[in-house]
Amino acid sequence: MSTDTTAQEKLIDLAAEFYDQLERGEIPEMSVPTRTKSNIVFDEDSDVWVYGDRESTRSANSVRGARKLLKAIYTIEFLADQLDADRSSTLRELYYLSESWDVDEAQFSSQDESNQLVEDLEIVSEVTREDFHMRPEESGATIMGPLYLREQTRRGEREIHCQEDVGEGGYQIPNNPDTIEFLDNDADFVLCVETGGMRDRLVENGFDEEYNTIIVHLKGQPARATRRITKRLHDELDLPVTVFTDGDPWSYRIFGSVAYGSIKSAHLSDYLATPEAQFIGIQPEDIVEYDLPTDPLSDSDVNALESELEDPRYQTDYWEKQIEIQLDIEKKSEQQSLASHGLDFVTETYLPERLDEMGVL
Amino acid sequence: MPSIQSTLGEEEGIAEELAESQQQISIAEFFEKNKHMLGFDSGARALVTAVKEAVDNALDATEEAGILPDIYVEIDDAGDYYTLVVEDNGPGITKEQVPKVFGKLLYGSRFHAREQSRGQQGIGISAAVLYSQLTSGKPAKITSRTKGSAEAEYFELIIDTDENEPEIQHAETTSWDRTHGTRIELEMEGNMRARSQLLKYIKHTAVVNPHARITFEEPSMDEPRQFERATDQLPAETEEIRPHPHGVELGTVLKMLAETDSHSVSGFVQSEFTRVGKKTADSIVDNFRDRHFGREAAWRAPRSHDEADVARAVQQAVANKGAEATNAFADEVANAVAARDRVAHSELREIVADAAEIGDDHGVTFGATVRENAIGAAWDELTADRTSDLYQLVDAATTTRKDDEAIDGLAERLAKRFEKGRERDRATHSELRKYVDRAADQTEEYDDATFGETARENVVTELWSVMVTVPDEVPKVRDLAEDRDAASDLLEAMRETDIISPPTNCLSPITADLVEAGLKKEYDADFYAASTRDADVHGGDPFIVEAGIAYGGDLEADGQADVLRFANRVPLVYQRGACATTDVVKSIGWRNYNLSQPGGSGIPNGPAVIMVHVASTNVPFTSESKDAVANVPEIEDEIELAIREAARELKSYLNKRKSLEKRKKKQNVIASILPKMAEKVAEVTDNDEPQYDDALARIMNNVLVEREREDGRVRLVVENHTDTNESPDITDIVTAEPSNLSDGATAVDMDGEWFVKWSPTVPSGEEAVLEYEVSAEASFDLSVEGIEDPKLTLNQ
Repeated sequence: MSTDTTAQEKLIDLAAEFYDQLERGEIPEMSVPTRTKSNIVFDEDSDVWVYGDRESTRSANSVRGARKLLKAIYTIEFLADQLDADRSSTLRELYYLSESWDVDEAQFSSQDESNQLVEDLEIVSEVTREDFHMRPEESGATIMGPLYLREQTRRGEREIHCQEDVGEGGYQIPNNPDTIEFLDNDADFVLCVETGGMRDRLVENGFDEEYNTIIVHLKGQPARATRRITKRLHDELDLPVTVFTDGDPWSYRIFGSVAYGSIKSAHLSDYLATPEAQFIGIQPEDIVEYDLPTDPLSDSDVNALESELEDPRYQTDYWEKQIEIQLDIEKKSEQQSLASHGLDFVTETYLPERLDEMGVL
Repeated sequence: MPSIQSTLGEEEGIAEELAESQQQISIAEFFEKNKHMLGFDSGARALVTAVKEAVDNALDATEEAGILPDIYVEIDDAGDYYTLVVEDNGPGITKEQVPKVFGKLLYGSRFHAREQSRGQQGIGISAAVLYSQLTSGKPAKITSRTKGSAEAEYFELIIDTDENEPEIQHAETTSWDRTHGTRIELEMEGNMRARSQLLKYIKHTAVVNPHARITFEEPSMDEPRQFERATDQLPAETEEIRPHPHGVELGTVLKMLAETDSHSVSGFVQSEFTRVGKKTADSIVDNFRDRHFGREAAWRAPRSHDEADVARAVQQAVANKGAEATNAFADEVANAVAARDRVAHSELREIVADAAEIGDDHGVTFGATVRENAIGAAWDELTADRTSDLYQLVDAATTTRKDDEAIDGLAERLAKRFEKGRERDRATHSELRKYVDRAADQTEEYDDATFGETARENVVTELWSVMVTVPDEVPKVRDLAEDRDAASDLLEAMRETDIISPPTNCLSPITADLVEAGLKKEYDADFYAASTRDADVHGGDPFIVEAGIAYGGDLEADGQADVLRFANRVPLVYQRGACATTDVVKSIGWRNYNLSQPGGSGIPNGPAVIMVHVASTNVPFTSESKDAVANVPEIEDEIELAIREAARELKSYLNKRKSLEKRKKKQNVIASILPKMAEKVAEVTDNDEPQYDDALARIMNNVLVEREREDGRVRLVVENHTDTNESPDITDIVTAEPSNLSDGATAVDMDGEWFVKWSPTVPSGEEAVLEYEVSAEASFDLSVEGIEDPKLTLNQ
C-alpha cells in the first residue's frame, strides 16, 4: 500500500501549500502546464511528447479561479479519504458525489470540470489518477494472445493465460494494469486493432495463433489502461508494437496517442506512450495500392488532416507524406473495406505483406 | 429684487389692458370671463394659484428687505370654504400700503420690468383676494407688523368691484408673535383635488429657494411639514435694466413712447433702452429714416459728352440776377455736382444752397424761389438719363450671362418706375423691391428674359446701396405715439441695428452649489450634480440656465425620472408636455449617461430627478397662463448644455458605482469562498484555520487596516493593495490613555475616551504602521474614512 500512502501524502502536501499561501497573506494559486497542442514538446530523452513550459494558473484572484481552488480542496479531501478507506470510484461518480458536498460553490457544474480537475491534481501532485483510485467510465479493452499473467484482484490473485483461460472475447484489461505481473509468453509482436469487427475477424481467422501475436483491442481512442499495458508489453517483454486502424485522420490520432502520448495526458507520456509503436495502416497509399472501397473526405476530415499537419507529433516525413497523399486523393477507407477482396484477405495477404515490409515478420 | 411694493402702480398689467377693452363690464365680470387665464378656472387650481401668488409675494417681500424668508402656509377646511393663511417674516407694511399691495387688482403684474422677478408669473395676490371675495363673500384679513413697532395691525380688506378700488373695512391693532412680517388670510371656494400638485409646488419652491424656510400644512396632514433652509445666503440682488431694443414688442414701444419724457427719437432710444448711446442712436435714427421716408436715388452727374448740361440749365432757370452772378452761380452748382460721384435730390439742395452764397460776391441774393428753380432745372438734367445709370448698376448686380438687351430693358423700365414714383426719386426698401419686381416681370414678359429671385435681390441690394438716407427730420416722439405705422418703422429700425447684448446683472441665478444644496435637502439621493451656464441672450433678454440632477438613494426607482421645471425661481406645475424643458430632456440620449431610456428617446427611467431653472428678464412662455417655457432655440440650446454638463458628472458617478458594485460582487463571492477554503484546508492538513484576511485584501486590491496587539503595544498596519495612493483617515477610539504615538498621530481626550487620529498616505503596494502603547486592558473601536467601503478590509 505504499503507493497509496505516497499518493495521500502528495495530496495533503498540496493542501498544505494552500494553507501556507493563506498564512503568508498570499493569494492561493496552483499552476499547471497549459494543455494545448501548442504547448507540447518532444522529449529527446524518452522519445515522447510532453508539456512545454507554458503554465496556466488557477488563482483565487478571480471568482472563477477561487471556485476552482475550492473545488480542488474538496476533491483533495475526497481522494485522501478514499485512499484511507481503500475504496475506488469512477470519474463520473466523483462528479455526482460532489452534489453531496455541503458548500454549493464546491460542487461541479459538469463532468468535464471534474475530469479536468483530476487531471490538474495528477499533474501537480505527480500521482496518477489510477493511484488516486479513480477509474474512467468505460471498461478497459481486451487482449488475446499467447501471454500468461497474474492479476492482483480485490478477490485475490488470478493467473490467466490469454488464449487458453479466456473465451473468444479475450482477457479484460483491468483499470490499473500495474496490478498485472507477466509470467510467460510465446509472442513475437503486439498488434493493436482499432475496431471490434476487425479484432473478431483476426481472432476467427486464428491470426494470433498463426503468427504468435498478442492482439490488443483499442476500442477506438484507447483508454489509459490499454495504452499502459501496451507500453508494458513492449518495455517488459521487448515485443514490437504495431497499430492497425482505419485509414482516416481520427485513426491516425489513435495511433498518435498510443505512440506519442495524448495532449490531455502528456504529463503521463512517460508512463503511457510507446514511441516505438509502428503504424500498419490503413495508409493512404494502401487505398491506392490495394484499390480499396472508399468514402470521400468530409470537410471535418480535411480540417482534421490539416490540423495534424500543424501538430508537432505528426511532423515527420512519414506522416507528412501520408497526410498529403490523402488530401490529394480526397478519400478514406475503413479497416473492414479489405473484405472487398475476401474475408481472408486481411490475414493472408494484407497483414503479412505490411508486417513484412515493416520488418516485424 | 425689489418687492412688489416698490413697483406698484408703475406699470399696468396686460389684464388691465384687457379689462379696458371690455369697458362696459364690471371687474367681477371681467374676472369671471378671464379666470382661466388668471389660474382660477377650477376649485383645485384656484387653491394652487392663490398659494403660488401669496408665496411669491412673501418671498419677494423678505428678500427685498434682506431677510432670510421664513414662510408659513396653511390651508384649512372651513366647512363650505377653504381658508388659506400665508405668513412671512418680511418688513411688514403700513396701512397706506395695504390696499395697494393686496387690493388694487391687476397692479401687481410687473409686465415688462427688465429684471428677473417672480412677479412675471401670474397676475398677483390681488387676483387671489378678489377670487376669495367673489366666492366666499368674506374680506381678506391682513395682519402686519413693521419692524420695531410694539403692536401689529389688523385690516379687513374688500375690493369695490364697480370701481376696482380696494377699501379697508375694518382696522385695529392686535398682538402677533412675529416681530415683523405680514399675514394674509383668505377664505375661498376650492377643493384639494390638486393636493399632490400643491405639495409638489411647495417642495419645488423649497428646492429653488434654498435660503427659505417654508412650513406647510393642509387638512390631510397630522402635523405641519417643514422645509428647512440649506443656506443663509440670500439671492444676489439684481438691478433692473431698461429694455434692450431687440427685445421689445410694438405694444410696449407705443406705451413707452406715450410715457417717455424725451421729445426726440434719439433721446427716447438713449434714455429708455439699455445699451444705446449716441452712436447707436444715430444708427437707429438713420435706419428709421430709411424705413419711414425711404432713401433718395442718387444719380451720376452728366459727363461732358452727355446732352444734359447742369450749368446751362441752371443759367436758364435763373432770371434777373445779372449775367455775371448767374453764370458764377450756375458754374458753382455744376462744379459741385460734377465733383460728386452721385447726387441725390437732398444733396442737390445742399449744393444749391452753398452755391447761392456766391451771390454775396456779386451783390445779389439768390432767394428761395430762385434756388427752387435752379434745383428743379439741375434735377431735370440729372434725371434726364436714368436709364444708362441704371444700366450700369443692374449690369454690375447681375451675372455676366444675362442678355444685354434684357439688362437694358430692365434699366429702362426701372427708370420709368422712378420717374413715375415718389418725387425726388424717393423709395423705401420695399417700394424699391416692388419697382424691381414690376420691371423684371415686364422684362420677362416682353424681352423673353428671366430674372430670378436672386437676381432681383441683387439688383435691389445694389440700388439700395447707392441710394442716400434723407436728412429729413424724423417725427417727434409725441407724433410717433399716435402713429402705429411710424412706430412700427422705428421698431424695425431698432431690430435692424447692431446693438451689443444686454448686461446680465439683472439676473440672479441660484448658482450650481445652491442648486445642489436645494436638491439635497428635499431629495434623499446618493448623488447630486448641478451646473450653471453663462448668460446668453434671446430676443434682447438675457437669460441663464441652470440644471441639477439627483440620483439613487430613496428616489423612486420605478418609472420615469422626475423632471422639475422652474422659471425665475418659480416652479412650473402645469403643462409639462408643452414645455421646452421637457422637450430637451426627452431629446437627450440618456443612455450615453448610463440611464435607461427605452427606445433611446424620451424621459429616462430610473431613480433620478432632473431639474432645470431658466432665469431671464423675460422668460418666453407658451401662453398667458405661464406654465410652459416656449421653444426658443437659444434657450433650448442652453438647457441642453446645462443638463449635459450635470449629466456628465452623473455618468462618471454611475461608472464608478458600477465598478464598485462589480468589485463588491467579486468580494462577496470570494469572501464567501475563501473562508470555506481555509476551513477545508485546515481540515485536510489537520491544522488550525489559517489567517486569510491579508490574502483577501490582496485579492480585492483593497486597503487592509489591521490591528496587531502584543501586551501594551498596539500596531495599526495599513496595507495598500490598490493601484493608487490612498490617504485614509483612521480613528481609533481607545478606553485608556495611549502613549508613545508614532508617525504624527494625535490623541485627543474626550470624556475618558481617547481619539487617536492618524492620516497616513500609503503608496500603492506599500504599508504604513502606527504604533502606540496603552494599558493591556484597554478596548478599542477603529474606524476608517476616506476609502469606499468595498475597497476597505478592516481587521480589528
